[in-house]
Amino acid sequence: MGQGEYLMLQNPKMRLSSQVDMDASSPSNEATIRVRGLFKHYGKIAAVRGMDLDVRRGELFGLIGPDGAGKTTAFNILGGVLEATAGVVRILGLPARDARNLTGYLTQQFSLYLDLSVDENLRYSAGLRLVPEDQLEARQRKYLNLMQLDQFRDRLAGRLSGGMKQKLALCCALIAEPQVLLLDEPTTGVDTVARREFWDILAGLTAQGITVVVATPDLDEAERCDRVALLYNGQIQQIGTPSALKANLGLGRLVIRTPTLLQAEQILVKALKPDSQLVDVATLGDRIEVLVKDAQKGEVQVRDLLTQAGVTCDRLQPEEPTLENVFITLLRRKGSVPQLIPFPRSGRGNQSTASSPIQGRSPQAVAIAAQNLNRVFGNFHAVNSLNLEIRYGEVYGLLGANGAGKTTAIKMLCGLLPISSGYISLAGETGNLRSAALRQRIGYMSQKFTLYDDLTILENLKFYSGVYGIPPRQQQAKISWVLAICGLEKQSHLMTGQLPGGWKQRVSFGASVMHEPEILFLDEPTSGVDVLARQQFWQLINDFARNGTAILVTTHYMTEAEQCNRMCFMVAGRKVTEGSASEIKAAQPGQLFELQPQHLQASYNRLRTQLDPWRVSIFGDRLHIVLDHPETERPKIEALLKQSNLPFSNLHTVPFSLEDAFIGEVQRAGGGSP
Amino acid sequence: MRIRRIRNQVLKELEQFQRDRLGVALAFVLPVIALLIIGFAIRLEARNIAMAVQDLDNTALSRTYIERLYATHLFVAVPWRGSVFPDALDRGTAQVQVTIPSGFTANVIANRQSPVQVLIDGGDVINARVSKLAIEGVFLSVLQYQLGERSELGVVSQIRLWFNPGRRESLFIVPGAYGVILAVFPPLLIAIALVREKEQGTILQLYASSLSAAELLLGKSLAYMAVGLGEAVLLFIVGFLLFGVSVMGDPTPLIVGTPIFMLASVQLGLIIGIFTTTQSSAVQAIGTIKVLTAFLLAGFLFPLNSVAFPFSVFAYLVPVRYFIELCRNVFVRGSGWLGTWHLVAIMLFIGSIEFGIAWWGMRRMQLSR
Repeated sequence: MGQGEYLMLQNPKMRLSSQVDMDASSPSNEATIRVRGLFKHYGKIAAVRGMDLDVRRGELFGLIGPDGAGKTTAFNILGGVLEATAGVVRILGLPARDARNLTGYLTQQFSLYLDLSVDENLRYSAGLRLVPEDQLEARQRKYLNLMQLDQFRDRLAGRLSGGMKQKLALCCALIAEPQVLLLDEPTTGVDTVARREFWDILAGLTAQGITVVVATPDLDEAERCDRVALLYNGQIQQIGTPSALKANLGLGRLVIRTPTLLQAEQILVKALKPDSQLVDVATLGDRIEVLVKDAQKGEVQVRDLLTQAGVTCDRLQPEEPTLENVFITLLRRKGSVPQLIPFPRSGRGNQSTASSPIQGRSPQAVAIAAQNLNRVFGNFHAVNSLNLEIRYGEVYGLLGANGAGKTTAIKMLCGLLPISSGYISLAGETGNLRSAALRQRIGYMSQKFTLYDDLTILENLKFYSGVYGIPPRQQQAKISWVLAICGLEKQSHLMTGQLPGGWKQRVSFGASVMHEPEILFLDEPTSGVDVLARQQFWQLINDFARNGTAILVTTHYMTEAEQCNRMCFMVAGRKVTEGSASEIKAAQPGQLFELQPQHLQASYNRLRTQLDPWRVSIFGDRLHIVLDHPETERPKIEALLKQSNLPFSNLHTVPFSLEDAFIGEVQRAGGGSP
Repeated sequence: MRIRRIRNQVLKELEQFQRDRLGVALAFVLPVIALLIIGFAIRLEARNIAMAVQDLDNTALSRTYIERLYATHLFVAVPWRGSVFPDALDRGTAQVQVTIPSGFTANVIANRQSPVQVLIDGGDVINARVSKLAIEGVFLSVLQYQLGERSELGVVSQIRLWFNPGRRESLFIVPGAYGVILAVFPPLLIAIALVREKEQGTILQLYASSLSAAELLLGKSLAYMAVGLGEAVLLFIVGFLLFGVSVMGDPTPLIVGTPIFMLASVQLGLIIGIFTTTQSSAVQAIGTIKVLTAFLLAGFLFPLNSVAFPFSVFAYLVPVRYFIELCRNVFVRGSGWLGTWHLVAIMLFIGSIEFGIAWWGMRRMQLSR
């Protein structure tokens, strides 16, 4: 078997693009991007140390890694805007700097002029890259159509939603018809629905032979790549297809559902010993996930452990490990997974529990209640008859697309924004939600970063501990704790503005909980934060919840939402569904099918002619299809593909992910992004 | 270098500029306000200096002398206060105190020395000098008048003021103000436009394309030169309507010189934009460098030949001084190219050097770190 054939088998998309390959006269096994021994030093600090990488033509290649792993540096070098200290980078056989006109690069910040219109942005990008003027109009129309932005041509880029901005940025990159696209975290700040659409577009582009390298902090997204590289400490640690990486992990994942989560977790954590089957135990909202060395032996051991302790377990199910498991396991081996450091609670240690307001409260007491909550801005109904009831010790997720009213709701609930009508009770208080005494009992971490960039970390923390009136003798312990959870003990004199986004968020979280609030509002606390920090974030959130704090959190990341005890989806200001992650998934109508088509893009396009666009999406080399009435629809789909000469294999049902459920709910409620 | 890319850059800059309505308004309103303030507020001629006079002689000659002093329009009378001698000066109610002793007239007629005591508050150097010269002049002319035919001075100077016979101050201030204002606002706009690209990260898109530094800088320069020219035309119109300052003689030195001055003026904005990273530091740098040099080292108010070394050397590098000279020529002297061609040539030279520095700072079109 020749090497070319081997590659084709490994990547079905290669077949589709092989015709293009022949035209382009470059052999298909030639790497589009070739990196050898790449180093980049900033002064004494090495950001990239010895990176080797080959990306093939038409590949959707994912680059994942924690903050500070060197992703952005690598992108800047590939994009030709930063000089490497040592090493070779070739794009289509040219040095990166000379290949700039063949490359489109979307930087992490929006690469658009927000004060220019959609058309003006496109025209400027085209002029920069010398697109022939007679082709400009045609290309403009083509790409705006592709991204469904054609009716917004005169709108200012600054007035577009996050998802639309990124689609426009992609248009600007595509207008020069580049052969390589470099995308540095393109979906940060983009909501779930728009994110899935964005990835569908990327899959379509690779089918046309465009090579796409994309960085993402969301490992669910990374599952949709052809190949993925795990970057850590400036080096590529692992590289391969998502399924190969998961297979190489050599661990099994068990999902346990039980009414006594806390007890079960304690038992399992105790059994985490080098000689046991158990490798990792994590509580996620309504279930426990255990990583075991061998799926079958592990299952037996877990079952034994739980029965011995008299814990009943409703379900114990082996599942495929996720990329997140791969990633976290890798980092744990590198010793860089932060440990949970307990919060220095003022109520502990000294015996008088009275000093802590949370202690001794009935766990069933309602912390946040809202009835028929409304907020109207002009003739825009931002929040519409919202009912919520959140108890102490509960983590509640408020999920929705951008503009669904999450931030408005949160601002009203913590008293920052007056309500139009309705009833709110916050920690038993119904009247003045802004009284100093009540504010002392709640914590709020806003979406936008609230620390001062031009103060040092220590100065910021001192300032906030003063704002929240923390007694001076406790101040030191609490500030030390915040620095410890951020891993910044020795860097407390750093300017806050210099920190990477993820660290800023952690400091910001620390600052908002220093005063031990009873109720905590977190508005997208993990936006732009890497997996590691996110995991640690959730440990902290859970720690606070177990100590009785009621927590209301909004997020775009559905993997994260799984960690909430309960959640609701908001669409256009209304609550459309509520429950635990499992309840919501179970309540989904219809079924989710997965199939492996031979001609991925063609099958995808064909299916989308018959089904709503959101029902079909590309995951790596497979397609996911949502059917509400599988009995009647499934045969129709099979017939359609057969008629169109689009062979496929392995059609089977898969369980709904929370993301699938979310997209389904949002689309059925008519709240998809335009 | 591609013309199309430069045109593309110019168009984008102008689109961005006109998008911010408030910004556009400020770009044209602020220079006009500055012209009004400078044009109406600055008065170089000394006036209304408080003077107290004590006439112990009280004769026809002494009274004539005092009348003549007030007739210069330099002084206003304030009462002689108190009994203690330098009282008015100490209190600050008068800046000048004149005492005419008794026997003044008798001494003059007898051709003896006839002292008059004049005390001037030297705290205000300029007013003090003006008062001193005026009082001496008046004294001389009174003597001449009194002695009449006995005057033995054979030399008579016939003084004529050319170009501005009425010594209209606006003819001096307003053309200079054009230079100062146009040296400050256009560079401020261009520096902000460049630094904003850095702050928002859009500059990476420029680096990631093969746009060259020269194309980028020329594009930005041309766009903001156009804005600056708009400001210049507006200023010239306001100057004509409000201060009656109009072009004398050949207008072509102004038509050629203004764009060339804009080129030079805008380059410093670019240089500052290249070497700063935040809008606030860029604004501070422009504010300090441009305002101070334009007011102090460009011969706007104070003659350049009295500037001390080494600033006098530095003053040669300030393009505004040449433009102010050009404006004074075109709006006052009207001597045409004869007195202006070298100014245009020097501004072109300085502008090119500055463009070279800006290009050098930007030449890599890459992140420095």
